[in-house]
Amino acid sequence: MCSGGDLIVNLIEYFVSNFTFILGYTWDHIKLVGLAIIIAIVIGVPLGIYCSVNKYAASTILQIASIMMTIPSLALFGIMIPVLSLINEGIGTLPAIIALVLYSQLPIIRNTYTAINNVDPDIRDAANGIGLTTFQRLIKVELPNAMPLIMAGIRTATVLNIGVGAIATLIGAGGLGGIIYQGILRTNNTMILAGAIAVAVLALIADLFLRLIENLFTPKGVKK
Amino acid sequence: MIHFNDVTKIYNSNVKAIENMNFTVEEGELVIMLGPSGCGKTTLLRMVNQLESITKGDIMLNGKSVWHSNKIEMRRNIGYVIQSNGLFPNMNIEDNAMIVPNLLGWDRKKMRDRFNMLMELVGLNPDEYRKRYPHELSGGQQQRVGVARALAADPPVMLMDEPFGALDPIIRTHLQEEFLQIQKELKKTILFVSHDIDEAVKMADKIALLKGGKMMQYAEPARMLNKPANSFVAEFVGQDRVLKSMSLYTVRDLANALTLKPVIESPDSQNINENLSLRVAISKILNQEADQLIVENDNGTRKGSITLDLIEQFLHREIKESV
Ligand SMILES: Nc1ncnc2c1ncn2[C@@H]1O[C@H](COP(=O)(O)OP(=O)(O)O)[C@@H](O)[C@H]1O
Ligand SMILES: [Mg+2]
Repeated sequence: MCSGGDLIVNLIEYFVSNFTFILGYTWDHIKLVGLAIIIAIVIGVPLGIYCSVNKYAASTILQIASIMMTIPSLALFGIMIPVLSLINEGIGTLPAIIALVLYSQLPIIRNTYTAINNVDPDIRDAANGIGLTTFQRLIKVELPNAMPLIMAGIRTATVLNIGVGAIATLIGAGGLGGIIYQGILRTNNTMILAGAIAVAVLALIADLFLRLIENLFTPKGVKK
Repeated sequence: MIHFNDVTKIYNSNVKAIENMNFTVEEGELVIMLGPSGCGKTTLLRMVNQLESITKGDIMLNGKSVWHSNKIEMRRNIGYVIQSNGLFPNMNIEDNAMIVPNLLGWDRKKMRDRFNMLMELVGLNPDEYRKRYPHELSGGQQQRVGVARALAADPPVMLMDEPFGALDPIIRTHLQEEFLQIQKELKKTILFVSHDIDEAVKMADKIALLKGGKMMQYAEPARMLNKPANSFVAEFVGQDRVLKSMSLYTVRDLANALTLKPVIESPDSQNINENLSLRVAISKILNQEADQLIVENDNGTRKGSITLDLIEQFLHREIKESV
């Protein structure tokens, strides 16, 4: 075991000398999680909106999404292998993205659903009374006012996926998990720690970045 | 014109909220629906713009059945104001007020002119408020914008559900008076919900008093105060109903109905304009301990004088006559 001081020196040395190597893994990680989140938004936000207009569907959809979250990530990756092997995609990016998309659904659907339900009923009543169609009400009133909460769901999903994405390296999807995995194989603590730190920093930066986006998309009158 | 034709509303197949309602709001009239909480005022109002369905009967809006109208199109032709103003937090004041014209596809220039005109009408500076957001305004200012939004596309009919109910008394009085001025000018057909008898007496052309989903009395304010149809109405309008009714008559009404007393000159005699209410007249007599007030018209011509006796005589006559 080395002392704390040594560890930090080693870490800094590792980051400096393997800068491009880490950057490459980081970029793979961003691509993996980014693609998964975009797909997750495209599926989850409309599903959340649908839940807000159909209460029966809502309980079923939210339950399925909750169950998805309780499956351990390693098991989910494992299940994906035999299923996707049928189309020769058992390992690699596809199963990883599918798993990440599934994990993102609960925070995205639930937040979208809650956000739209939480729009002040008087505001919805005014929108109806004034003569907005259901679609106009959604686009002009409900979604803009629901934006902060929807974005919070997307942020949660992203941070979650950056963590889960590190495990996806086990099924050959690449990303920062690769550094941690190689560290484990070589019993190189510095490498393991470097990979873990890179994942954490990426999650923090992603969160910050999404807060900026949220700020951009949230109408001025809705900000607190 | 809004005509209720035997309208019944039953919620969840067991709660009877409105029962066989029949009355007409004539064109250009401001009718106030009054009654205790839960008597069905909001339900009746919301059936007009079809936010609630009608269980039985029909409502005719300017001769057209609301049943058979296109809901969206119909609602854009009805001004709708609610107690909590319902402004959209995500839109600035101009976008809020101009939402209906925007949906109707007006051009920018026309919308801007309309916004400026409406803001002046409701007593707000258009340029000061244009880019502000609802949460940056006081309750009274928000409700003014709510009224401007309802008037935006110049709808012939307005539905207002306790529009000034959430405001503090001073602001409420202000807005009531301003809105009366606006109505004098615009002559909209208005159905207005209130639970405040004073508001109704002050503003309504006619009052519809409801209880348990049924009409108790539909009459002009003075008539309702002086000749309540039953004991519920009498109790609802209050023990001081005769006193309240005095604000509804002007000195001129009295002068037209009775012969004024001759003017007796004295150093402390007071004048009163014939356009002022009897309520003002009686306060003046009591406050100043004058026996009589000299009635003048706008040109300052004296028409005679009034005394407490004469006012009392007039009220007795009105109470008897409005049978
Ligand atoms: N959506 C609804 N579902 C069931 N009952 C309702 C609904 N809205 C109102 N009611 C009932 O109908 C009656 C009239 O309510 P409402 O029109 O809101 O009265 P008001 O506006 O005079 O206070 C009340 O008994 C109320 O409980
Ligand atoms: Mg009500």
